[in-house]
This record gives sequence, C-alpha cells and structure tokens, in this order.
Amino acid sequence: MNAMCDPSNDDMRPLGGRSATPRERLVVVGHGMAATRFVEQLVAGGYPGHVTVIGEEPVPAYNRILLSAVLEGTHDASAIRLRSPEWYAEHGVELRLGTRVLTVDREHGDVMLVDGTCVPFDRLVLATGAIPTLPPIRGLVRPDGSLHPRVHAFRSLADCERLLAVLPVDAARAVVIGGGLLGLQVARALSVRGVATEVVEGGDTVLSRQVTPAAGTILARSLTQLGTTVYTGARATKLIDHPEEGGPIGVQLDNGFVLDADLIVLTAGGRPSVALARGAGLQVRRGIVVDEHLASPTDPRIHAIGDCAQHAGQVTGFVPPAWEQAVVLAQRLCGADLDYRGSRNVARLRATDLEVAVLGDPVAEPGEIVEVSNPVAGKHSRLVVRDGVIVAAALVGDLSRVGLITQAYDRGTVLGVREPGDLLLPETAAPLAPLPDDAEVCACAGVTAGAVRACGSLAEAQERTRATTGCGGCTQVCSRLVGEVPVREPREPREPREVVSPVRS
Amino acid sequence: MTTKTHCPYCSLQCGMTLANTGAGRRTLEVQPWAEFPVNQGALCRKGWTSGGLTGHRERLTTPLLRDRATGEFRSVGWDDALDVVAGTLAAIREEHGADALAVFGGGGLTNEKSYQLGKFARVALGTSQIDYNGRWCMSSAASAANRAFGVDRGLPFPLADVEQAEVVVLVGSNLAETMPPAARHLDRCRENGGEVVVIDPRRTSTADRADLVVQPVPGTDLALALGVLHLVISGGHVDESYVAERTSGWEAVRDHVAAWWPERVERVTGISVPELHALADLMTSHRRVMVLTARGAEQHAQGSDTVLAWINVCLALGLPGREHAGWGCLTGQGNGQGGREHGQKSDQLPGYRMIDDPAARQHVAGVWGVEADSLPGKGRSAYELLEALGTPEGPKALLVHGSNIVVSAPNATHVAERLEALDLLVVCDLVLSETAAMADVVLPVTQWAEETGTMTNLEGRVILRRQARRAPSGVRSDLDVIAGLAERLGSPVPFSTDPETIFAELGRASSGGKADYAGITYERIETELGVFWPCPTPEHPGTPRLFADAFATSDGRARFLDVEHRGPAEPCDGEFPVHLTTGRVLAQYQSGAQTRRIRELPDGGAFIEMHPLLAARIGVADGMRVTISTRRGELTAPARVATTIRPDTVFVPFHWLGVNRLTHDALDPASRMPEFKVCAARVEAA
Repeated sequence: MNAMCDPSNDDMRPLGGRSATPRERLVVVGHGMAATRFVEQLVAGGYPGHVTVIGEEPVPAYNRILLSAVLEGTHDASAIRLRSPEWYAEHGVELRLGTRVLTVDREHGDVMLVDGTCVPFDRLVLATGAIPTLPPIRGLVRPDGSLHPRVHAFRSLADCERLLAVLPVDAARAVVIGGGLLGLQVARALSVRGVATEVVEGGDTVLSRQVTPAAGTILARSLTQLGTTVYTGARATKLIDHPEEGGPIGVQLDNGFVLDADLIVLTAGGRPSVALARGAGLQVRRGIVVDEHLASPTDPRIHAIGDCAQHAGQVTGFVPPAWEQAVVLAQRLCGADLDYRGSRNVARLRATDLEVAVLGDPVAEPGEIVEVSNPVAGKHSRLVVRDGVIVAAALVGDLSRVGLITQAYDRGTVLGVREPGDLLLPETAAPLAPLPDDAEVCACAGVTAGAVRACGSLAEAQERTRATTGCGGCTQVCSRLVGEVPVREPREPREPREVVSPVRS
Repeated sequence: MTTKTHCPYCSLQCGMTLANTGAGRRTLEVQPWAEFPVNQGALCRKGWTSGGLTGHRERLTTPLLRDRATGEFRSVGWDDALDVVAGTLAAIREEHGADALAVFGGGGLTNEKSYQLGKFARVALGTSQIDYNGRWCMSSAASAANRAFGVDRGLPFPLADVEQAEVVVLVGSNLAETMPPAARHLDRCRENGGEVVVIDPRRTSTADRADLVVQPVPGTDLALALGVLHLVISGGHVDESYVAERTSGWEAVRDHVAAWWPERVERVTGISVPELHALADLMTSHRRVMVLTARGAEQHAQGSDTVLAWINVCLALGLPGREHAGWGCLTGQGNGQGGREHGQKSDQLPGYRMIDDPAARQHVAGVWGVEADSLPGKGRSAYELLEALGTPEGPKALLVHGSNIVVSAPNATHVAERLEALDLLVVCDLVLSETAAMADVVLPVTQWAEETGTMTNLEGRVILRRQARRAPSGVRSDLDVIAGLAERLGSPVPFSTDPETIFAELGRASSGGKADYAGITYERIETELGVFWPCPTPEHPGTPRLFADAFATSDGRARFLDVEHRGPAEPCDGEFPVHLTTGRVLAQYQSGAQTRRIRELPDGGAFIEMHPLLAARIGVADGMRVTISTRRGELTAPARVATTIRPDTVFVPFHWLGVNRLTHDALDPASRMPEFKVCAARVEAA
C-alpha cells in the first residue's frame, strides 16, 4: 500500500513510442469492486498518470457484496457507498458514469463509448466483472429480449432496488433459481422480509461447488427448518403465466412440480464479461487471460482484474482475489516490482441464522481430511490438511473457531499433528478444584489461600495480609475462605446476549 | 510523622500515606489515604511495598566515574563529577555544535524536573536533541487526541466517571494488573448495571470482570474499529445531529468503512461476525458509552491511526462531550501526562505549546529571559534520537534522566550498540540500572519520597508528592544536577533547585497554552485533592471534564480522520509463524529497576505465555524451557501454558533485560511510537 512511485521504472513510461507524452493516460473500464479498489490504491500510491474511470451503472461506487444485506434490511442502501463522485474529483480522477464502452481499438489506443466519443489510452485496465447467466427456462426472456416482468436478476444496486420495490406487498411467494452462495443469501433475505421463499438448485446439494454433499445436505435441512424449502436435483424448465393479470406465475420443474411464485430471482451464477476483450482480439478463454503482471499476453498495455480476468487458468468470482489483483496492479503501476501469484479465498455466507465459511476449495483440494459432522445439530466442519497446513476448509453451522482457522489458512501455519482435530473440538474448561493452600488468591497483595484461611474474618485478612485491598477482585473468594458470606453476591450469569437489531447480515 | 503522597509507579498515582516511624527505621511504612478519590485507600502490592527502596542496600550514594581503559567505576565527589560532565559537554559542543549534546528524559519525572530538563536542553545546552521515553508510552493516543480534539489529556473526565457509564470498552488495557485499584471503578460500574468489554489478545484478569471479551489478532484493533463503525452506520445508529453540529470530515470516513463489512473484518481480525455484532450492538444500544484505549492498541506502527479509528466510532455515536461517555486514554507512566506537557518532548515547549509556533517561542522565551531566536527548533523523536547516537550526524553525548533505555527500548541490542558509540554517557539513577552500568558517569539521585514535586495523573489531575524523608547522604536531586551543570556550562540564566519556585515558573510558562497550569499552586493541590488542567487563574476551579460545549480545535469541532488498516510491520510467515506481544505483570513495573529490588515483590524473570495448542505443537509443557526468536534476537525462558491467550500469539512480559531485544523498531509515522505490541516470532523447545 505504501509503494513509492519511481517514475524511472519501465512500467511508468508511456508505451508505443510516445515518449513525448508527459503523463500516462490510464483508462479503467468498469466501476465495480475491483475497479474502485484499484483506483483507491493508485491514489494511495501517488500514481502520476491521468486516470479515467468508465462505469456503466449511473450510481457512485458501492459495495456489491452487501446487496443481499440491503435486500435483507440490515444495511441501508446509503451505507454501502464506497466513494463519492467528489472523492474522485478531489484526487483528479475523471469519472464517467452511466455510459458504456462499445469497442477497444488497440491500434489507435482508444476506447469508443456508446455516444460515439473516443477516450485515448496509453494503458487500459479491464474490470468489466461478470454477467449473470440466464438459465434455459422457457418464457424467461420475452420476444423483445427483455426479462419476464416477474423475473429479477440480482447483480446490481438497480436490480436490488427493483426487487425491494415489489416487497413485500406485491410478493408473497418467491422462487430463487440457484442454490449457490448468492442464491442462499437472497433466499434468506426474502424470507426475513416475510416472503415465502423456495430455492431451486440443479445440483444434488446446495453450495455444491463449495462444500461436500454431506455439508450441503445439512445446510439444506437448516434452510428448511428456517422455512425455506430447497429443491435440489431439479431444474426449472418453463414459466407458466397465470390466466389473470397479477396472479402468481408457475415455475415448472423437470421433476413435475410446479411452484407458484409472485417473483423469481435468478442467482444461477455468472460468466466473465469478455466481449470487449474478445472484440479487441485479446486472448480470451473463460475469462480474459492475464499473466503474473495482470497483463494480457496479447498486449502488455492492457490489463484485466477481478471477475473478468483469468489468471493461471482460474476465474474466481470473489472479492478478495479481485482486490488482491487490484492492489498488485496498482502498486506495479506506482513503481513496485511485484507479481500476482494467485489468492487464497475465503467465502462467507451473509445470511441471518445460516453460518457458512468456505476457505479455498474444500471439495477438490487434495490433502488429508479432518472432519467433524453432527447433522443432528446442523454442524459440519471439514479441514483439508497437507503437510500440516490447512489448505482448504468448509465450516457449516459452527463458526466458533472460524477466526483462528482462517488465520492459520491465510498464513499457511504448519500445525501440530493433533491440532487440526483439536481445532474442531470445543475447548473444555478445567474442572473446579478446592484451592490448595499455596494458591495465590490475591495477586494485588500476593496472598495465598492458606494465608487467608489462617485469618478469622475478612477484616482480619485485610488487616494482616492486605488481601482484597488492591483491585478488589478476590473479595468473594477471600470471604468464602474465612467462612463468611460474601459481602455481595456475584451477579447473576447473564442470558446469552440478544441481538438488538431484528436481523443482521 | 506521616506524609500524604502518591505511589512512585503508574499513572494512577494512588494516594498513600507514608509513616516515617523514626529512629532506626530504614524504610518508610505505607498506609492508606482513604480520602483520595482515584484509589480511595486501595493499593496494589507495588504500592504497599514501595517504601522498600528507600535505604535499599543497592542505592547509589556517590557519583561514579568509569575508566574507559579498564571499564571500572570509581567513586568521585559531586563537584568532580559535575566538572567532568560539564567539561566534556562543553568540549563536544565546541567541536561538533550544540546538537551533538542530547538529553533523554522519562515519564516518571516530576513536572518540575520535566520542565527544567526541557529548559536546560534549550537554554543551557542549546540543543534541539531532547526527547523521552513517553514516546514509548502514550504518544500514539496523544497524537490522535491532538488531531481529533485539538488537545491531549489522557482522560477528558475523572476516572470515577467510569462508574456511571452504561458500557465501558477497554481496548488493549489490562488495568486489573497494571493499575489494580482502577478496577474498583469497573466493579462499581457493573454494580450499577453497566457492562464492561475487554478487547485484548489475552483473556487477562481484567477480562475476568468483563461481560464481553473480544480477542483479536495482535495489531488488528484498527480493523476491528472500522468494522464496528461499519455496523454503527449500517444499523442507522449514527448521531446525525451531533455529527452535523460538532464534527467535520464525516463523509470520507463514512464512505471508507463501507469497504469494511463484517466478514472482511472477521478475516483480518480473527473476530467472528457474531462477536463483532455483539460488540457493536452493545455500543449502539446505550447512551453512556466509554471507550478507553491503552498500550495494547497504541504501541503499534499504526497506533495513532488505531486510536483515531476508535475516536471515529465515538464521534459517530455522539459520545465525546456527553456526560459519563466518550473516549479516553489510560496513560501508563507515573507522570506520562505531565511529562509530555512541559518541554521534554522534542517538538514541544511548556504548556503543550509547539516549538515551531512563533508565538509559543516568544512567550516561553520571555518567561525564561532569553531571546526567542536563541531557542532551537524541533529535534529527533526518542527512538530516532537513540538510533542517531554516535553516528557522524548524531549526538556524541547523552544525559539520561529517569529511564532504563537498554531494557525498555525496542530492538534493544541495536540501542545498546548506539549507547556504546557515544563519547559521553551520563545516567542519573537511584541504583546501578542496566543503562547506568554502561555509563561514563553515574549520578545518584533522589527518589520519590525524598523530594517534593508535582505529577499529573491519567485524568489530567495535578497532584503533589511531598518529601517524606531525607535523602541518603551523597544523593542529590535531578534539579541539583541540572542547576550544577547549567552553571558550569555558563548558562545565560540561572536554574532554581526549589520545586515550588520552579512550579510557579512552569505555571507562567504554561499560561495561555493548552495545558495551562497558571492558576495551580501547591496549596490548592493539597486542599482540593488535586487540580485538573486547564486552570488559567487562581480563581479558576480547574477543568475535570472537557468538551461539554466545544473541542479545542480552531473551529471548535472534532475531526473525523479517515484512517486505513495497514497491518503489522512484520507479518507472520513460515519462518516466524506466531505473533509476539509484550506487556506488564502485576508485581513488576517497567524496566524493573525499582521493583526488581523490592524483596517482597516476586521476581520470577521472563516467561513465555502460550496456548496449549501451540505448546503441544512444539512439544512443551507448562514450566519447560522455550526459546523464542525473532529476526532481531532470541530469549530462553519457561513456558507458561494458558488457555487464555490466542493460540497464534505468545506473550512475554518486558520487565527483564533481553525481552526488548526481540521487539520491532518500526515507528508510527505520526507519534514515532515503536511497534512493541506485535512482531513475528518462532518458538521451540529449548
């Protein structure tokens, strides 16, 4: 974050032989999580070039991963804004919102916007994100190409606001298509909002890409207990309009069921947005291919970060890797010499009463498996351990050690033989034993239990040993040692804390 | 004969009565002083046994001069010793200039000594090179408070206000062990229905009296505060009218914390999302909420930003200025507060005036009777000063008052090398501390019960310690040393040795400054049980509570400052996989120069506290020898296995030589505080 700018670094010289250009012109296409982080890091690092950010959405940068929290009601929409337009202006960053890049012209070094204007660049960063996939459901898309009016995507703030606008008066029942992380979050959010919600997932279990079938089954059961039925191994094939205007539509499943719904939310994943890159002749596979400098092998002036990028064969779709890429690229452009070597990812489900953490790829990552499963209590924990290091993990229903396990995973800590197992078991409290005479009961005055016992009263103990005269924490113990009823009883043990807000992310 | 005074150790400055039972008794007897409101007669074992050092057999009673050829010390008379010191200082100044002379002070010195030391450096030596060990104490909180509120007073309210709070959040404070009588206020807060939160990587004995304990990864308190603020905002708990009327800078902070959602905070801090919610819910569901930071949050290379992040939380909730609510710092050293207000800090003049402010220079120079232009400018901060010692551009001579640098400085091996590179090291101390043992000249000075002077406790309350007994023969006060050297160096103005006279001068020098003592006298302190600054006139009642109407900034508004979590300077890696954090134990104080010499205080030496999971990993059990190493040094000590510490963290108390050879010397960019509280370490069976 504190990389010093070194203008002599090769990266800083305008490329393409235009060495007379005083300042590098950097254009960022996209204004999502990766792009915002990238620009913040450029500013923090003192990047000397001129930066233009082009965003399709008309609103200031916001925290996309909190959209489900806005839907659920734990976050006000105004609380997820990341940077105001004024912030960009203050730092000399040109911000063009509500417009779209049509083409990238590598030969001329510019991008053309939908209104026909061209923005020249010496360096281009594609942070175009992902596009929600449309599942093959008949009736989903109308002849004019628009979505069925009862169908909602859930990718942008506008999607979220459109969905909120129909809640809860116009929507008593919802069907969420897709049982991945986003699908479950949206389902819980709708459910917390009072909408009867069902989830349709084509795979055999929910979160099938993140957790094993055993964990997915436990999670599906927890969801059911929370009032959300999950249909796994079922695909929606067709939307059936209600004969009357305003009536529920039917979602036809391939197993014969028809689910009535007032609204349908699509969360069945996304694919990298690569059209611009492909049109510009850059190497594209699933995502825009980049090397360890996050640059296209086709054209080193052009970079890709975030959901649209493919590094070492991987497309991630999560914020932490996108941000690490943003940081590495920004620091490189500010003169630091560092490479991107992939990320460790931690994915967390943000949904009330559902506790899930997924570290790395606990399904596919090779290693020894340490697992504790308690379907009755709705808990399932799995650590994948290789050479003593936790290389992946899935925690469902019990996150009491999530902080510690994540630290060990992130730092690649080499654990002891018993440690992975011990990490999954609850810590046991030592049994209470009578205090031996040589046990220190008053640390402030350095007094043992025996010395207090030798006194006839608390007053005598205070006078002779000065026990209880410091912080006062041992007063009750000392009272009992001399056979006196404590001056004041310890407070009643508190009830487990109730969360004050009705819902939370 | 009895004397009402205060304990020689921490910033609580507990009131105590010293009984000088007369003939033949070498030590003073400590008795309670029930009326003093901060501790109400309570003391910890350090206080009860503090009389043990007067007349201790290791007390120095004669100046010592070291022969550089043999390394031997020999006793010399005071005049000879002062002549040698002054002569050498003058010669070095002649050859290299005044900035070749440096002074290192301490947060345990009285206000009078701190003031004289600052004046001595600027006027008699003419050097800009003066700083003190308070940089290693509360400087991060000081820097944060100055920037956010325009003034730095540890607590902006009396400590007893804690009892009326509904929620008290302690960030990195183990006050039940480091200032035990303070815990009584916490207990009373809980009796009144209040709830206590302790944030600390260790479940300390302070945490034993908490309703909620949060154990973050060392060095991540800042991220935790950002996470709390995120939930304050997302839950709609911002005090919008307060923010609009009493603060500035809110928008940037608000937008920034949108990027610190709970799951991200969990990954960084190791605090699970439900725990974070529990903390935020507690803070947002009550009106009288107090956040008190201490060394655990502050002794980091991002310490001042960490404090600012917690202040931001308090401002968003509208707490500072509200009764029984707000932010405060629990200062550490006995005079950590007063010691930084009167000029022994490299950038300050008396009254908390900044040395680069022309008006401040004019005023203080007037009181001192010198030309403003003659005053040097800003010097190096404590650790940077030590690093420069003996280098071509750095000081060649150092005078040390009230500090045991080689034990308490970070990266201590390096610091010891710098001390050895000096042409002259002079140490004033009671005993032959580890630092005094390296000196060319050691001057034996009085200790607390043998002299009179004022201290300013953690509340900003100025208190008086009266002399309770005569100093051993051959021992003189630091004030005598300063006056004697000033005279020999041909100072343009004389230096008094009478504490009350010096205090009156200090009052005039501080007049009109932020820490204004002008209206305070010894008599008022005694009759009013201490006086809170600012107190500009004899008629002014003093100021127990700040910020009720306005903040001390130019526009009267508190500042939100947008701060970002950078993380520890030395992250853990495969080679050094655990976090090392350091701190104090109840029975010892700071470098232990005093407490390790008190027979009644247990002195078991350093230990390495670790969780059973970590102990099992390296194959050791409680009490077995463990070697801990960092990139800077290593130490072998017994393991103390406890479930109360995070399994990825080890704790070592720093009172013993060797512990600070392990710690990191990365500095906070604003406060110049070293990163004592976290570095990367490795532990293995010895």
